[in-house]
Amino acid sequence: MAVESNVIDAAGPYDRAKALSAFKLGDVTFYWITRLSAISVLLILGGIIISLIVGAFPAMKEYGISFLWTQRWAPSADPPVLGALGPMYGTLVTSFIAMLIAIPVGLGIAIFLTELCPQWLRRPIGMAVELLAGIPSIIYGMWGFFVLGPFLANTFQPFMIRVFDGVPVLGAIFAGPPSYLSLFNAALILAIMVLPFITSISVDVFKTVPPVLKEAAYGVGCTTWEVVRSVVIPYTRVGIIGGVMLALGRALGETMAVTFIIGNSFRISSSIFAPGTTISAAIASEFAESDGLHQSGLILLGLLLFVLTFFVLAAARLMLMRLETKAGK
Amino acid sequence: MSEMSISVSAPTVHPGSQPLPEAPAKVTARNLNFYYGEHHALKNINLALGTNRVTAFIGPSGCGKSTLLRIFNRMYDLYPGQRATGQLLLDHTNILDPKLDLNLLRARVGMVFQKPTPFPMTIYENIAFGIRLYEKISKSEMDDRVEKALRGGALWNEVKDKLNASGLSLSGGQQQRLCIARTVAVRPEVILFDEPCSALDPISTAKVEELIQELSENYTIAIVTHNMQQAARVSDKTAFMYLGELIEFDDTSKIFTSPSDRRTQDYITGRFG
Repeated sequence: MAVESNVIDAAGPYDRAKALSAFKLGDVTFYWITRLSAISVLLILGGIIISLIVGAFPAMKEYGISFLWTQRWAPSADPPVLGALGPMYGTLVTSFIAMLIAIPVGLGIAIFLTELCPQWLRRPIGMAVELLAGIPSIIYGMWGFFVLGPFLANTFQPFMIRVFDGVPVLGAIFAGPPSYLSLFNAALILAIMVLPFITSISVDVFKTVPPVLKEAAYGVGCTTWEVVRSVVIPYTRVGIIGGVMLALGRALGETMAVTFIIGNSFRISSSIFAPGTTISAAIASEFAESDGLHQSGLILLGLLLFVLTFFVLAAARLMLMRLETKAGK
Repeated sequence: MSEMSISVSAPTVHPGSQPLPEAPAKVTARNLNFYYGEHHALKNINLALGTNRVTAFIGPSGCGKSTLLRIFNRMYDLYPGQRATGQLLLDHTNILDPKLDLNLLRARVGMVFQKPTPFPMTIYENIAFGIRLYEKISKSEMDDRVEKALRGGALWNEVKDKLNASGLSLSGGQQQRLCIARTVAVRPEVILFDEPCSALDPISTAKVEELIQELSENYTIAIVTHNMQQAARVSDKTAFMYLGELIEFDDTSKIFTSPSDRRTQDYITGRFG
């Protein structure tokens, strides 16, 4: 061995070392480039949080913790009275209703596309779903304002109000009068907007189920529904929840379309057919004309949205972990 | 492949295994043909699986053994473009009848796959799942059925303390026996094994083979295998297939000692395939 290695050394020790050191330099550079890219995420996130806190500080000092449960929003009063309850309520309710609609429909489309759809129909439906994701939110806003809003106010809303009239709880949720601009309209638009996220991610994860596992389930005599419910969905649970979270994140923060059709009312009403507002809609519609304490209050709202989104995502993670323990992993 | 030894000579048939008397046919194929789109994969298959007998299917890869097995429970129906013609009877039921209730058929004809396929749920649920599809029974009855099925799959002693662990936490051999137990739990009449041991180590293979022999007392069994020793050990009848045709179908002892077709002889002595 010794002889051989001497021979190799003699063949060009200088060249080899040089080549190696060039590689080493490349490695170090590469390491630092990727490292800086990763660190930049932390810097940007930290910078946003700090500037939000700095901007919101005057409002925090003025209103303290009671900002969270004050419903009144009167920026032109003297001194201005600002409370976040209305926008927070609107944000949570519209996102909740949107997910209530989008999850079953989105999963339904995904199941149909992967398990039931005849081959020739797969591409058109798949492409339509992708296109839905590509429509700019302002278009959804306009469509919601000019088409969907009047349609719902003239047909669906009166119907629901009539059906649930006098029923406890539900009667209050579906209470009149019908309105072009309402929490429900905004939620429906949100549902349409987040649908593609849920569907396309679900389709992707459904395709990862090994065919032999599905065959095994069919092999004990399952119907398609039983295979989907007991094998496909449990197998892909983590991926589906990931898609739902992505959709929820979008629903919580969506601004333009919601601002158009939610009515921008800070008053909380038990009815989902009443106008309301969301955090992002409130900021979008008022920020340009705000100053002083009013502006600081809007920034504080933004900070709240940040925190709210963080907690929703954290709760989802927690739920996922508990599901996994339950499945015995 | 997990063959324990490579032998050039024909495998010896289990000593003392006299051919059993002819059993009444459970599954009968007459002029059965199968097509993957344009490709004619099975040509005029005629055979009968004897009731409570083990029938082995051997032959080189691509000869159509697994395809044939997948017709017995209409698994091919899941995929467009695949079709079968001819006649295939389970007792007196026409398996190829397009109006046949497939879920019911698959409950009568269970299947165990090449790779273990436990469902993503607990060991207990893996068994209970199939039972629940057909029967509404109480918790205690279900416990009994699960225990019985796991004993039937020779797995009870290994898992009785961890029934709530995930089915995926078991070893490969245990997973395969779980799949057999799951199949047995539904009380089928026929069980199809598609190379059940090809992903298993020799010890697990021996356990599964023993299990197949025990199961044959109550079930009609069809097994596809690449391991000729295995075919010789577990089966009563053996079918040799080649290029989509059934070349020879006879008592296992006859196939492995004095095959009548030249190709069968070449295959079992390892000259090709």
